Amino acid sequence: MIDFLKRPWRWAVCFSIALVGAFAFILLDTFVIPRAQAPADSPGPSAEQEESGPPVLPEEPVITEASYSDGGVTISIETARAHDTTYYVADIRVTDPSLLRTALAGDTFGRNIKETTSEIAEKHGAILEVNGDYYGFRDEGYVLRNGTLYRDVPREPGGDAALLIDGAGDFSVAGENELTEQLLEEWGIRQVFSFGPALVEDGQVAVTPSSEVAQSMRSNPRTAIGQIAPLHYVMVVSDGRTRESAGLSLAELAEILDGLGCQTAYNLDGGGSSTMVFNGRVVNNPTNGRRSKEREVSDIVYIGYR
Amino acid sequence: MSISVIGNRRGNIPKTVVAYLILTLAAIAFSRVYALFSHGVSSGAMTWLFLYPLLGGATFYTLLGLLLPAAPSVAGYRLFYNLHNSGVATLSAASLLQGILEIAGTASAYTAPLSYAGWTLAGGGLAVLLTGLIRRGCGDSL
Repeated sequence: MIDFLKRPWRWAVCFSIALVGAFAFILLDTFVIPRAQAPADSPGPSAEQEESGPPVLPEEPVITEASYSDGGVTISIETARAHDTTYYVADIRVTDPSLLRTALAGDTFGRNIKETTSEIAEKHGAILEVNGDYYGFRDEGYVLRNGTLYRDVPREPGGDAALLIDGAGDFSVAGENELTEQLLEEWGIRQVFSFGPALVEDGQVAVTPSSEVAQSMRSNPRTAIGQIAPLHYVMVVSDGRTRESAGLSLAELAEILDGLGCQTAYNLDGGGSSTMVFNGRVVNNPTNGRRSKEREVSDIVYIGYR
Repeated sequence: MSISVIGNRRGNIPKTVVAYLILTLAAIAFSRVYALFSHGVSSGAMTWLFLYPLLGGATFYTLLGLLLPAAPSVAGYRLFYNLHNSGVATLSAASLLQGILEIAGTASAYTAPLSYAGWTLAGGGLAVLLTGLIRRGCGDSL
């Protein structure tokens, strides 16, 4: 074997093959190979939901191109422009907090398990939905969805502001390093999103013009969710990376959500993931900067009855 | 070992330095082009990727050629050469991967072991070279 490797180029060729193989494996493992994972633990549904059961459609819905109303859910969608960017605001009022729901791609928690926002939405009969935090692209960050704790690994301090939604449908923001399974149960938290940062807290803009996600320093397509009042929410998605729309910085997005009257607002995964779907129709222009196409994501936030 | 073989090995150092300088330029060009498609997201691992071939390759072999011109003739030089180059290649690949993943906003548990493997290979190569030089020094002194 040693004699074989001593000959010219043999080592270089064998080692190059091994290194390229390792490189390709890591890329495939990170971006492509689906890997289902078991939930960390399940705090279980909150007591109030166990008693009341899932809500049912109260009356025949009245649907237009930009609105929906059925007595339990009222949604209106507006398109606006600011900072050389088109953005879409869905104003949502619900009568039951459990109508604000989340869903995972393939109904499975794991890495690289992906579907487009509209595919996930269709399976769940969602009325309105936006992409979530794309938890499956990372191995860290709390993931608690519809009462099930899937991941209890906090992100590193500094990038760790999580959005919590409790059983009453109220939003709050907390550092992931302060969270424990016991605290989440004690507070009756039903959903935890791990992306951020928080855009608005206590009715005040919580980011500065220099705030950005990781090292990104440019305007981008964005997705955000906010709470204006009890059972009154907004979902905002902006276009970006196109000739028509430059995209928004976090500060610009926060300014918009603050202007809508949000008490709490949180930035979800953006860029090519940013998608809003209303009644099965994609509202915004999802793009990765090169082509317009819905990106497959790990999860969505939606308004719906199942 | 024949004189011609020793001569060939000495000739390897300038060629190796040139090859590493070309790789350094390629790394700089790749990171610049990648940045154009990164939507403003940057990564230190990608930006400074070129330092591995520049410092671990071109600079190292330049110093080796200047300070220890007889190094290619010591026992085990071929093994050192293979291990060291493999180490620099592995470290460069690990840095490139880290950059790609950071720009995409994700991470992998495998990048750190790849870096460790790179440092181990490079360190093993140096140990082989040092052992050869020490043995040769001892042999000369006898």
